[in-house]
Amino acid sequence: MRKVAIYGKGGIGKSTTTQNTVAGLSEMGKKVMVVGCDPKADSTRLLLGGLAQRSVLDTLRSDGEDVELEDVRSAGFADTMCVESGGPEPGVGCAGRGIITSINLLEQLGAYDESENLDYVFYDVLGDVVCGGFAMPIREGKAKEVYIVASGEMMAMYAANNICKGIRKFADSGGVRLGGIICNSRNVDNEYELIEHFAKRLGTQMIYFVPRDNNVQRAEIKRKTVIEWDPACGQADHYRNLANAIDGNDMFVVPAPIHTDELEGLLLEHGVLG
Amino acid sequence: MTALPGQAPSDGIRGDTGAPGGTAAGGKKAGTGKKAGTGKDGRPVSTTNACRMCMPLGACLAFAGVEGTVPILHGGQGCATYIRRYLISHFNEPLDIGSSSFDESATVFGGEADLAQGIHNLVTAYGPQVVGVATTCLAETIGEDVPQILTRIRRGDAHLPEIIGVSTPSYAGTHADGYQAAVTAVVEALAGDEPGDGVTLLPGIVSPADLRHLHELAGAFGVPATVVPDFSDSLDGPIAAEHPRLRPGGTPLHGLARCGGNIAAVTLGGLAAPGVANAGELLHERFGIEHHRLPLPIGIRLTDDLVHVLTLAFGHGPAPWVEAERGRLVDAYVDGHKYLSGRRAVVYGDEDLVVGIAAFLSEIGIRPVACASGGRSGNLRSALRTAAPELADLEDLQVVEDADFERIDALTRETAPDLLVGHSKGYPTARALGIPLIRIGLPIHDRLGGQRLQHLGYRGAQRLFDQIVNTLIEREQSSSPVGYAYM
Repeated sequence: MRKVAIYGKGGIGKSTTTQNTVAGLSEMGKKVMVVGCDPKADSTRLLLGGLAQRSVLDTLRSDGEDVELEDVRSAGFADTMCVESGGPEPGVGCAGRGIITSINLLEQLGAYDESENLDYVFYDVLGDVVCGGFAMPIREGKAKEVYIVASGEMMAMYAANNICKGIRKFADSGGVRLGGIICNSRNVDNEYELIEHFAKRLGTQMIYFVPRDNNVQRAEIKRKTVIEWDPACGQADHYRNLANAIDGNDMFVVPAPIHTDELEGLLLEHGVLG
Repeated sequence: MTALPGQAPSDGIRGDTGAPGGTAAGGKKAGTGKKAGTGKDGRPVSTTNACRMCMPLGACLAFAGVEGTVPILHGGQGCATYIRRYLISHFNEPLDIGSSSFDESATVFGGEADLAQGIHNLVTAYGPQVVGVATTCLAETIGEDVPQILTRIRRGDAHLPEIIGVSTPSYAGTHADGYQAAVTAVVEALAGDEPGDGVTLLPGIVSPADLRHLHELAGAFGVPATVVPDFSDSLDGPIAAEHPRLRPGGTPLHGLARCGGNIAAVTLGGLAAPGVANAGELLHERFGIEHHRLPLPIGIRLTDDLVHVLTLAFGHGPAPWVEAERGRLVDAYVDGHKYLSGRRAVVYGDEDLVVGIAAFLSEIGIRPVACASGGRSGNLRSALRTAAPELADLEDLQVVEDADFERIDALTRETAPDLLVGHSKGYPTARALGIPLIRIGLPIHDRLGGQRLQHLGYRGAQRLFDQIVNTLIEREQSSSPVGYAYM
C-alpha cells in the first residue's frame, strides 16, 4: 500500500487535484482511501457527490468512543473509500490535535489493515505544515511520499518551499520523501518552465503540469470529479496522466529548500518578470 | 486513544446539564445507568473521583522495575511530581522521575530541545543503563513526534545509554495501560533470545511481595524466572546507609536478553485498552517462544492454572512446599466457610486484579455483586467469565468498566454488600456506609505496607482469606452487645 500526502498553499486546488487524481487511479482499478485532514471537511465532496458524510471528530463528539469504521467511512466514486477528519469550527479549539486523534482512531479501527486491500491512501492536508498535528500524516509509519501542489504564483511557491522544510525535518529521521511538485496552472507567464526549474532547485521534479480548464469548475458545481462528469474531455485525460505519473513515479527525494532570495531570483529569471 | 479531552458540547448534540461539570478527567464512554453529570442520552460527560491513575504513572512504575533504568516524562514538572508523590506514598521508597519541564515556549515551539537537555542531565546525574521516556498529555496534545525526537537525540550522541520511549497521554488510557505499554516497549527494545532454561513472567500491576513470590514459585520448579518488570527490590528494598543515585534491583538486562529464549512466557493478567500491544505476544511473534495468557494467579483455581502451565512447560511438578501450601489453603477454606457462605462483595480497581479477586471470592463462597474498574479494555466481563465460569450465571452481577467512584459509591449503596474489596480510594464509601474495606492493590495510602500486601499464589490467597474471615468475625464480635472472647 502506498501512503501519499498532498500539501500546498491554501486555495491552490489540493482537494480538487487529489480527488481528480484519485478518480483516475480508481479508474485504473486501484483501491484508494482518501483521508481529508482539514476542519472544513470538504476533501471528499467530489467523490461523494456532496458533503454528506459525518466527520470522524463529529462522530466521536456525538457517539463517544464506541465508533465503528463504517460510521466514519463512506464509499465514493468508483469504490473509493472516503474519510473526513473534520475538526472544530473556525476560531475554536485545536484543529491540529483533531488530525492526530482522527488518524489514531482510523489506525485503531483497522482502516489500514491488510484485509482492506488498499493500494493507496491519500491524505489531503490543510495548507501548510503549520504544527505537529498537520505533520501527523508524514510521521514515521504513515505517508512515505508527499506531493506538493503549487502554481507559478509567488506565494504558492513560497508555501511549497516552506513545506519542503517540514518534509526535510521528518525525512531526516523518518522515512518520508518528496515525490514531486504538481503544477496546478494559474496561467502565469512561463509557468511550466518556472515550476520545472523550481522543482529542480528543490532536488525534485515537476511530476505533472495540470492546465487550467473551466471544466474543473463545471464539474465542481455538479459535485463531481472531471472524470465522472465528462470522462471524454481533455482535462479528464490530464488527471489520468497525473494518476499514471504518480503510479509510475520512482523519484523520491529529501528536498533541499531554497532561500527566499533565491526563490525571488527564480521568479525574476523565469517568471512573470522574466 | 480517541477521547476528546474536555470538549464542551457546541452543537447541542450532547448534554444540557451545564456540562462539562465536575472534574472532567476525559475518558467519556457510554456507561450504564444515570448519574450526576450525565447528558441527555444517559452518557456520562464527566468523571468524578476517577478509579484510575494516569498513563505515565503506570509507565514510570514499569520503568522502575528494569535494571538501571531512570524514567523521565516529556511534559510539565507537575506530572513528575504528582506521580512521584503518589507512588512514594504507596511504596514508602524514594523514586526519582525526571522531567523535560515543558513550559509555555515549549508548547509553542515544541519541546525537543528541553527533552534532549533533560535526558543529558539525567544521564550525567544518574549514569543509567536505560532511560525510559514517557509522554504526557500536553506533549501529545500539541503533536510532539517523540519517536522521531528520540531518533535525533540518539543520533546526536553515540555515548547515550539505551533510550526507550512510550506514548502515554492520559486521555488514551489508564495507569494499567501505561504500564503495559511501557513493558511492551522495554521488551521490544531489550528482549533477546539468548538460550535460557527458565520462564518469562509478565504480570499486570502487582506488589513487590507478589513479584518476590513469582520468583519463589518458579524456583519451586528449579528454574529461574525472568519477571518483567520487577520492582520487588527497587521499590521495596532494605534500608541503606547511603542513598544510591541509581536504585538497585529491577529485571536484569541480561535476563531481558534471554526472555525470548526461555522455555515459555506467561502473561499474568494483561487486560489493556485496545491498541496497547501485549509484551508476551510480541515475544511469541518475534522469537517463537511458547506464550500463555492467564489471569493473575489469585486463589486456588487460578494458581493451579499457573502451576499446571509450568508443570507442562518443564515436564515435572513443583517442589513439595507448593502442594503443602495448597493443602493448608484448602483446609482453611473448609475451616472458614461457615463465616463466608452467602456473603456479598463489591470489588473495584485495576481490571487484572478485579478479575483475580472476583474469581477468588467466588471460590471461597463470597458472591461478587459488582466488579468495577476505571479500565476500558472492553474485555472485563469476558475475562471474569473465563476466570470464574460460575460468574456468568449470576444475573445480578454488575460489571462496570470506565467506572469512577461516584459510580462505585452508587453501586455499593444499591447492592449493600458485606465487604468492599479494593484500594484506599474506596475508603470514603466504606466509611459512609459502615462496610469493611479489604485493602488490596495500589494505591494503599491510608495504611502502612501496601508494598508488602501479597495477593498471588496459594500463600497470597491464604493471607487474603484469613484477613477476610477475620474482618467478618470482628464485625460480628464488635457489634454484639456481649463481649464474646470466643467466636
